[in-house]
Amino acid sequence: MKSNTIKLITVLFAMMFLAVGCVGSKDPKPAKAEWMYDELVDVAFVKQHVTVPMEENVMIIDSRPYKAKYVKGHIPGAVSIPWTKFDEKKDLLPKNKDALLIFYCGGVECKLSHKSAKKAKSMGYTNVKVLPTGFPSWKKQKGEYPSVSAEYVAKVVADNTGMIVDSRPLETKYNKGHIPSAISIPFSKFETLKGKLPRDPATPVIFYCGGLHCRLSHKSARESIKMGYTNVKVFSEGYPAWKKLYGASAQAMAVKAGEVEGSIDLARFNEIMSKNPSSIMLVDVRDADEFAKAAITGSVNIPVDKLEAKAKELPKDKPIVFICPTGARSGEAFYMLQDVMPSLKDVFYVEAEVTFNKDGSYKLKKTE
Amino acid sequence: MFRKTLIGLTALLFVMVSVSFSFAADASGGPGGNDRKGKYTYRKVYKACAGRGEVSSPKPVVSPADKTMAEWKTIFESRNFEAFGCLEEWGNLSDKDILDIYTYFYNHGSDSPSPAQCQ
Repeated sequence: MKSNTIKLITVLFAMMFLAVGCVGSKDPKPAKAEWMYDELVDVAFVKQHVTVPMEENVMIIDSRPYKAKYVKGHIPGAVSIPWTKFDEKKDLLPKNKDALLIFYCGGVECKLSHKSAKKAKSMGYTNVKVLPTGFPSWKKQKGEYPSVSAEYVAKVVADNTGMIVDSRPLETKYNKGHIPSAISIPFSKFETLKGKLPRDPATPVIFYCGGLHCRLSHKSARESIKMGYTNVKVFSEGYPAWKKLYGASAQAMAVKAGEVEGSIDLARFNEIMSKNPSSIMLVDVRDADEFAKAAITGSVNIPVDKLEAKAKELPKDKPIVFICPTGARSGEAFYMLQDVMPSLKDVFYVEAEVTFNKDGSYKLKKTE
Repeated sequence: MFRKTLIGLTALLFVMVSVSFSFAADASGGPGGNDRKGKYTYRKVYKACAGRGEVSSPKPVVSPADKTMAEWKTIFESRNFEAFGCLEEWGNLSDKDILDIYTYFYNHGSDSPSPAQCQ
């Protein structure tokens, strides 16, 4: 009798352990079918490789159809290479064959990621994985959110079915161009401005900022999820992708901002210098002896050490652009003016490696 | 004994997490602040310091190329700014300001691709 009781208790304990094991497993591994690729990973593995910006030798690839699936929601940072267009788009894969490639599609029954992974392996990629539980398992992660594409954002704007939030700085970015109807909640002021978010926490909210290297929208999304918002998305490709597809909004200026805060778009700078250099005031902030050796035609010299004293003499009727050989002194000049003359709005600097030639010409090389 | 070990490990974990969050590295391994802004903020520290008479010149005496990137990392992560002087001004800086200055020093350290250029 005693022996039977002990057996019964042992069996009960074993059953409890099994039950707990089943409940506790958040991302159970699916039974492996024959058609599956052999190197499978779970969503926790993927999560540790989702960074902003993405690591250089890591690519997460969405094998689902672009318009029907990817545009409406994908893992942040994932690149779209639909299985049906694999051959056409395979050049998007990294050049480094040892890069980590993680393919995913629509869940355990979806074969697209497995087919794509096998094909990538046959192309010589050595570190190829598949997330068999796919995008559904990403969405189930607590505190995570999907990314959406510009086409999706455009539909939300057109249909007025959600709130679009610009997480970039107000004066240097938002005021110079933003997605129509977007409100400004710079991440640096999120705490004080979060009251601008919709009252209903179920309202769709889409955050965006300056592109795939910008973290502001992601940080804002996480904060809003903590606040209880349940339908949060990030337009990771951000304003650069929007402008490329739909053009700049009405607030865009003649002098176009570059990717880095306060910088001028280099192509636009070259255009201005070749067509209408007098439309800006180009201030060379190098020391006088450097300026005397070679300087750009039409530029004026105000060494950065003397700029603060001369700030009031700067014109208010045209954009001011600071320049130096690397962007260090000109960047400093930009922030100095932001501090001591905040009323001057049209101020930029050239974020590039600049070569000054004796004939008054110059050459720009984008800072790496 | 077990309880003490558990408390010790928890405290260690807390310290490690706090340190890693205080200056989270960016994707390139740098501090992730704004080095252009950091340069201006750094100079502003000495301007204010000279204004109240602790130093004779507003021009900073410590430059990024004085130490390696790893050395700057150690200094800024330990928040030991004694070598810079002007501790009153350092004490008034926000975490973001310090991160920006750290980024400026780290990005232009003696073993960086552009040590203390464009001073």
